[in-house]
Amino acid sequence: MRSMGRKPQSSQRSQRKTSSAFSAFSAVAFSAFSAFSAASAQPPPSARAAAPIDLTGYWVSIVTEDWRYRMMTPRKGDYASVPLNAAARKAADGWDPAKDAASGNACRSYGVGNIMRVAGRVHITWQDEDTLKVESDAGTQTRLLRFADPAPSPSGDNGWQGYSVARWQLAGPQRRGGPGRGRGATPPRGGSLKVVTTKMKAGYLRKNGVPYSEKAIVTEYFDRHTEPNGDQWFTVTTVVEDPTYLDEPFITSSHFKKEPDGAKWHPTACRAE
Amino acid sequence: MKRGHRLAVAAATGVAAAAVAILPAIAQQMPASTPGYDLSGEWAPRFHEDQPERIPGPEIGDYLGLPINAAARLHADSWDASILTLPEHQCKPHPSDYSPRGPANLRIWKEIDTASQQLLAYHTHISWQAPERTIWMDGRPHPPEFAAHTWQGFSTGVWDGDMLTITTTHLKMGWIRRNGIPRSDRAVVTEHLVRHDNYLTWIIVIDDPVYLTEPFIRTTNFVWDPHQQIAPYPCQIVEEIDRPQGVVPHHLPGQNPFLGEFPAKFGVSPEAARGGAETTYPDYQWRAKGAPAAPARESDPPAVAASASDGDVHVLPVQGNVFMLVGTGGANITMQAGDEGVLIVDASAATLTDKVLKAIRTVSTKPIRYIVDTDADADHVGGNADIAKQGAVISGGNMGQPYSGAAIIAHEKVLARMSAPTGEPSPFPQAAWPTDTYFTKKKELFFNGEAIEILHQPSAHTDGDSLVFFRRSDVVSAGDLFLTTTYPVIDLERGGNIQGIIAGLNTLLDITIPRDKQEGGTYVVPGHGRLCDEADLLEYRDMLTIVRDRIQDLVKKGATLDQVNAARPTLDYDRRYGTTSGPWTTDKFIEAVYKSLQPATGTKPSR
Repeated sequence: MRSMGRKPQSSQRSQRKTSSAFSAFSAVAFSAFSAFSAASAQPPPSARAAAPIDLTGYWVSIVTEDWRYRMMTPRKGDYASVPLNAAARKAADGWDPAKDAASGNACRSYGVGNIMRVAGRVHITWQDEDTLKVESDAGTQTRLLRFADPAPSPSGDNGWQGYSVARWQLAGPQRRGGPGRGRGATPPRGGSLKVVTTKMKAGYLRKNGVPYSEKAIVTEYFDRHTEPNGDQWFTVTTVVEDPTYLDEPFITSSHFKKEPDGAKWHPTACRAE
Repeated sequence: MKRGHRLAVAAATGVAAAAVAILPAIAQQMPASTPGYDLSGEWAPRFHEDQPERIPGPEIGDYLGLPINAAARLHADSWDASILTLPEHQCKPHPSDYSPRGPANLRIWKEIDTASQQLLAYHTHISWQAPERTIWMDGRPHPPEFAAHTWQGFSTGVWDGDMLTITTTHLKMGWIRRNGIPRSDRAVVTEHLVRHDNYLTWIIVIDDPVYLTEPFIRTTNFVWDPHQQIAPYPCQIVEEIDRPQGVVPHHLPGQNPFLGEFPAKFGVSPEAARGGAETTYPDYQWRAKGAPAAPARESDPPAVAASASDGDVHVLPVQGNVFMLVGTGGANITMQAGDEGVLIVDASAATLTDKVLKAIRTVSTKPIRYIVDTDADADHVGGNADIAKQGAVISGGNMGQPYSGAAIIAHEKVLARMSAPTGEPSPFPQAAWPTDTYFTKKKELFFNGEAIEILHQPSAHTDGDSLVFFRRSDVVSAGDLFLTTTYPVIDLERGGNIQGIIAGLNTLLDITIPRDKQEGGTYVVPGHGRLCDEADLLEYRDMLTIVRDRIQDLVKKGATLDQVNAARPTLDYDRRYGTTSGPWTTDKFIEAVYKSLQPATGTKPSR
């Protein structure tokens, strides 16, 4: 195996070149890998830093839909639009606001299943880097939307607002299909917020006793949009699924217009009627 | 006409129909649309909001949650559901800003350019009345203001992240709530469509300077439903009620007996039921408890939209052999062109003649054979002399002395207005006078392979008005009987009368036949303003009939002109058609109607 013991000169030069090239490549690759490893080793950005949309500020609900269910207390038994089952209708027909007030349940219509439909203002701030706080002046309620703690504690009272897990939904990057074109090409452009809430106390979908149970799951999608006149809005699409009282998911969407400050913030206590 | 000329004209005018023809060229020129989240598919509506309003239908007098002004309120207070029994009202589809609220099983699909794989457009189909809509994604501009308006409007879309944002203009007059709350044809609608999992949220924001004090926002939800099958929705007009022609059901101001039923039935305060921007804010809940109310924001009345504001004369292909020429300061010109030459209806103002001739030559190089004057106003006949001089009617035989220019056809009253008795100064030079007059109900012509009817409408805008109907092209030129810019000018001194105007509009309604769902078919070129069809004409006829009836009721009660003015009988239309300055103010219009209806000078409706 001569050729293995002594290579021709040209081959040796070639090998040296190859070896040098490999070394150089290795160095670059190692360097890049190290940088990648270092980047990978860094903690992911906080929810606040990664936010594709800004929901913070004071917002007022503009009630152009379901006015007589939201701006006033509808009459008992008026539960049009809600896909209730028989058990829910029976419960709604038995609505007794005085009893609710007396039993400390005046906030039933201010729970997570309905709070974004309550006419009022919300103030959204970052409680910490991974928790978005949503305060409502109507009923003086506070919601915590948690990005970092994905699981609610199995025990413990999560109150009217339940336990909310939040996640940013980033707008998809532009991609082109076809041979050699399957790579993502651009960074995400905007996005929305998805929130799933469970473990809440049972409450009302409407002020007149239309019920949801503690087994309900409330899924919300928050979207930002700016109109040609400069008005800034967010719209929240709310889906309430309740095996106890609903025949199908109850879907509403509520819109809030941004206000310059909290001058019109008007906290009020829960009212049972 | 050369093909190149036709394409140039179409591209310059931006007519929606013409734009379709040049689609591939645009696709290559426009920047690629940024792709977003695909919205295609079958979507089933959910009625978990406002179900009583959206499915059974709104209660009379329920204006809750609407940022409307007093004009919208009066329009709705006057609305009588029986108007929907009129044949021309029966097959109207919901406009695109309302249709997602109705029985709206929805299909969305994409139109992709085969060669470039670029997204050209989204299309939607909605179940009720089956309106189909195009949302252009290729960056094309919106048409000029004088192009026709449609129920679905002209829509363009852009992606904002995964949200599709749509801007729509060129909507027909529509409705915000199906109990008479109107949305004007001046509205601009912004929409946002966003898909989350299997849910579609459709955000609609209507900005209407005529009937709203703030932009009106509402949101509607759909669920993905791949098993959905949308049934066809043909609409056939039937005669429901035998009533005299020209009757428009409506309630006179203060006489709608049903307005109080809604608040009483649902325990709503009568004040809240009247709507208004302030009632949409939560502050309204405790206003009764002493908190100050948010002031309603009234915007200034909109400026009357000009036909074209750049000083040029534009050519808009209508259909068949007919074009519409539009220029600032002059009446619209309707042009028919073919192998035999060019015929124009009205010659517009003298100051525009050079531009008019230039515009005509972009369509045809054939001789101008005929000018038809619809009345004797300077903005209609001012160009007669110079344009006729450039033309040449074919004459001879037993027609008397050969004439070298284009023939000028008009009702004989037009000649009387433009000329003068011997020895007196004439308002127009002889070269501008009609050369061929008629004094009967109509004059017929066959030109460029097309039958043309010239119909006299007595005592309308003036006593010499003509309508010109191009039967094969299916286009009618209305002259100043029909304007989209102002209330009609009623020239009492020259024999005008509101009754004749309304009769003329009813004649036009007899002529027009929509292609489908009250859209297209016969097109109408108004004396001033944008291209129209029967549905636009219908709104104008209804408006004038309602105003006429209100003033007539006051006249019967012995009201003075001051009392009629104080009653604001045109309040619901003033922000659309009225003005407080210029040669034809709202006050002058009301005065003309009032005088038209005086027993001594008024005439009974002829139709």
